[in-house]
Amino acid sequence: MHPNLSFDQAPPISVPYRFFLVAPWFGVMAGILLAWSGADALASRWTPEALALTHLIALGFMLQAMAGAVFQFIPVAVGGNVWRPRLVANAVQPLLVLGTLFLVAGFLSSRFGLLSAAVPLFLLAVGGFVVAVALALWRTPATGMTLWAMRMAFGGLAVTVLLGTLLAESLARGLAVPMIELTNIHLAWGLGGWALMLLAGVSYHVVPMFQLTRPYPAWFTRGFGPLLLLLLLAWSGQYVLGDSRWPVATGALLLAVCFAYGAMTLWLQYTRRRKIHDATSLYFRVAMLSLAAFAVSGAAYFLIPAIGTDPRTVVWLGVLAIVGVFVSAITGMMYKITPFLNWLHLQRLGAPMSAVPNMKKMLDADAMTGQLRLHVLALLLLLAAVWLPGLARLAGVAFAGSSAWLGWNLICTVRRYRTFRDQIRAVALHP
Amino acid sequence: MTTIIDGRELQPPEPMERTLEALDGLAEGDDVLLLLYCQPHPLFNILRNNGYVWTEEVLPEGTREIRIRKAQV
Repeated sequence: MHPNLSFDQAPPISVPYRFFLVAPWFGVMAGILLAWSGADALASRWTPEALALTHLIALGFMLQAMAGAVFQFIPVAVGGNVWRPRLVANAVQPLLVLGTLFLVAGFLSSRFGLLSAAVPLFLLAVGGFVVAVALALWRTPATGMTLWAMRMAFGGLAVTVLLGTLLAESLARGLAVPMIELTNIHLAWGLGGWALMLLAGVSYHVVPMFQLTRPYPAWFTRGFGPLLLLLLLAWSGQYVLGDSRWPVATGALLLAVCFAYGAMTLWLQYTRRRKIHDATSLYFRVAMLSLAAFAVSGAAYFLIPAIGTDPRTVVWLGVLAIVGVFVSAITGMMYKITPFLNWLHLQRLGAPMSAVPNMKKMLDADAMTGQLRLHVLALLLLLAAVWLPGLARLAGVAFAGSSAWLGWNLICTVRRYRTFRDQIRAVALHP
Repeated sequence: MTTIIDGRELQPPEPMERTLEALDGLAEGDDVLLLLYCQPHPLFNILRNNGYVWTEEVLPEGTREIRIRKAQV
């Protein structure tokens, strides 16, 4: 029966892979930029280098990888179909790449016209992507909190890009807007409303499935996403209220919710019956420990004035969130998604089950573990470099190295897919 | 006869592989009971496209009991 099974719902394998294969090289660019810039880059979040580094990773690495994962995740996890995924990916990815490069060049050169040039590219890319995904997420008959978290996350992505548009145009045209407040709201929606919301929604599905934990408790999954959304709306109120206590109160609650998600995931990992210590589990542990550290550091930022007024504190928070939480979790996910993608698409060739290699043969475990170790070293060096600027160049080299290793590992996975595919086809032609 | 596959402590795609193997030898009137903590949408698509039907029940502790049999012609 098996050779006749239909696997037609997954998008073509090239769709997620094209995003995954590009993402790590933006990490390499970020590492090289930091190594080139040196000590001053991390002095505050407003340096041109810090702004460029943030967007290289948030857009070049995170958004690329998350977009690729979403194309694959929607049919597998929520039973939906993105409309013409190859066409959407073909249109979205070049615009995202170009927009990111324009934005980064604009920050580094302080030529704000480049920021303005990036705006239509992002509006087209993210607008098209959000519409295509939203249609799939609303049409699926599936239910559950993963689906709702994904719907909210795409709302968060749209808000982030619109606020980014406003900020870019304000810089380019010299408009008088409260830049600091708007930036705080933009980054909260980007990191919280988009990235964390999506990560949590995906976690509800993949953490029990791939890390063999118990499911997230229903009260947690029902409460986390809506509460995060409400608190982000409340945080955004700082723009209209103008009361200095408001961001402290809503920020502290946001941090508590972030901490709860990290602690819950660590608890599920700790209490699982079958212990698995593969790269994905370890990457998730690094991500959740970083999230807990982010929440505790954020509380110190709000509550201890001497820490709150030091411009390096926000850089520390940014490194923890962007590299510690999201680069770690996304890398761990890619290490689980790509072997599964290979397996799923090799099954589609119609070969007998025994002809398709085990998932463990798709990506070498030692290569993943080695890359994980270098990533952790890079993260620690980046955190240290915030307070010891002399380490900035070394941290940049380490991050570029770990990103390049990730890129190479993913290239090897694609090469193995091609090798196995050709073997299966050869056997089918000459049984 | 019911074939039980407890996929709760197996890493994907092992639950799907075992289920497809069990369906290969499924006789008329027999069924497969798959236990998971998540909804296996790729498996559902395969079942839908290959003439199987299934029922799904979620237990209070989060286990999903998915009972699969051949569709009545």
